[in-house]
Amino acid sequence: MPLDTEAPSRPTLRRPVLRTLRIGFVPLTDAAPLLVAQELGLFDSVGLRVALSAESSWAALRDKLAFGALDAAHLLGPMAIALAAGLAGVKAQVVVAAGLGANGNTVTLSNSLAEELGRFTPPLSAAAFGALVRRRAQAGRRPLTIAVVFPYSSHNYLLRHWLAAGGLDPDRDLRLTVVPPPMVAQRLAEGVIDGFCAGEPWGSQAAALGVGRIALSTGDIWPNHPEKVLAFAADYVARDPDSATAGTAAVIAAARWLEEPANLAEAAAILRRRAFPRLERGVIAAAFEGMAEGLPLAAPLSFRNATLPRREQAAWFLRQMRRWGHLPAGISDSAALAPWRQDIWRAAATRLREPEPPAPPPPPADRLEHA
Amino acid sequence: MIHASAWMDPSRKTQETQLRVLLVDSDPDRAAAVEAGLTATGCTVVAIAAGTKELTRHVRDSGAEVIVCGLDDPSRDELESMSALHRDEPRPVVLFAEKAEPEQIEAALAAGVSAYVVEGMAPQRVRPVIEVAIRRFRAHQALREELAEARQGLEERKLVDRAKAVLMQRHRLSEPEAYRKLRRMAMDRGLKVVAVAASILGSQDA
Repeated sequence: MPLDTEAPSRPTLRRPVLRTLRIGFVPLTDAAPLLVAQELGLFDSVGLRVALSAESSWAALRDKLAFGALDAAHLLGPMAIALAAGLAGVKAQVVVAAGLGANGNTVTLSNSLAEELGRFTPPLSAAAFGALVRRRAQAGRRPLTIAVVFPYSSHNYLLRHWLAAGGLDPDRDLRLTVVPPPMVAQRLAEGVIDGFCAGEPWGSQAAALGVGRIALSTGDIWPNHPEKVLAFAADYVARDPDSATAGTAAVIAAARWLEEPANLAEAAAILRRRAFPRLERGVIAAAFEGMAEGLPLAAPLSFRNATLPRREQAAWFLRQMRRWGHLPAGISDSAALAPWRQDIWRAAATRLREPEPPAPPPPPADRLEHA
Repeated sequence: MIHASAWMDPSRKTQETQLRVLLVDSDPDRAAAVEAGLTATGCTVVAIAAGTKELTRHVRDSGAEVIVCGLDDPSRDELESMSALHRDEPRPVVLFAEKAEPEQIEAALAAGVSAYVVEGMAPQRVRPVIEVAIRRFRAHQALREELAEARQGLEERKLVDRAKAVLMQRHRLSEPEAYRKLRRMAMDRGLKVVAVAASILGSQDA
């Protein structure tokens, strides 16, 4: 009796009207779990309707998440700390429900700088780079300009840590600046910057264009460091915890799919279609294959083992923010790290029977002293 | 259409001074329209930065009092890096967006953004919004400085307390006696009490 389902006496059969979950991302290879979850229908399978939007800058993505124009986002870990602390004038509470990846950024140098360094095999040592910067200073040459993607980014803090390990003061011996990832290769070619630390595929793209050389990956600085996170607006989680859990489950399922070597070619095709239509497929595939300029990376971009958000790992970034004077005094560790929660991940993982990932190696010492 | 009226006093008269505005917009047509709107209400658009290679230098050279920038402009991360990475004096940034829901604008203001302009807003309303943005920004900066000062005061008191404890133990003094001794040492040396406290603690550690 098909008419029965239409009868007002059986309202329980009516599906609730789902509000669309709006997720923003910045086009980078490590947005893959979100793009894959949508392309493979993983969001649909957990009963979610998702609108993914590519954002033109981290600031725009952050503002939209803070102001309620987005419900969730592919976010830089230190941005969640910056939001909790109200840095740059924007304060909002977000919930880090899952990690989206580990590693996956490169430090890429201009050809002329790579030539000046002489022959080196990646990863380039901090000591060799420090020596070059000091030689240049002694010769009275201009300081180098290196771009990162955002002030409050893993890129900025990992790069600073590496520079300091080479005996350099990143605020005095070099000029650090910000360039949006899609523009880094062009600025390197124009000579506006001498190098950059940015997420893939932009290092591989610069190398493919012949405008730069990949010197190391951020996984060489802190192996398996947490990279982007899936962050929800806190009031979205409070209002609709089931959808937050469902969305997190879809992302964990996507990370699981991305771990299968057999799926990597398709993953690269999805990224090309959804985020980088103008790039060669090989340039996008390199990060998935764990390669940089044809050489295997010691700590390549990975997804599945990075999904559990770990506050003690995020704490390393918090300490670096204090080290470089980016966080005003009076912000407690607990307030700054409050966004990192494991309850949503655990609820989602239980649904998928996903085991807890193995504990990652500890972060590097807060300060590496120059030998 | 303006959604910011809740916090804006429309009866307030605009000042006659020229506001120096730097406009950042990578869409040339829109930039021209926004510039016309700003100029019509007595702002001086000192520069338009559109996809410029050296944005930070551009901002510094312009001497602008306020930056007007599209919410989705790709230059935004670079603009934000100026105060965070280069310790430039922070400047108010007025964001404009093609569309935004009223509750989003409310949330933006609550989160600390100085002002939020929606495209298509009547030109005569633009200048008051920018003025409010500057006022809010300055009030926010002043509050931050006050907080920093208050925190420093607290730190200084802690130093003095610890130095007093050292003197009490070293010379078997009561608390008021220790404080008098500290003050006398400061007067004798022409230093602040907190400086003497720091030197006492320094010699203690050594």
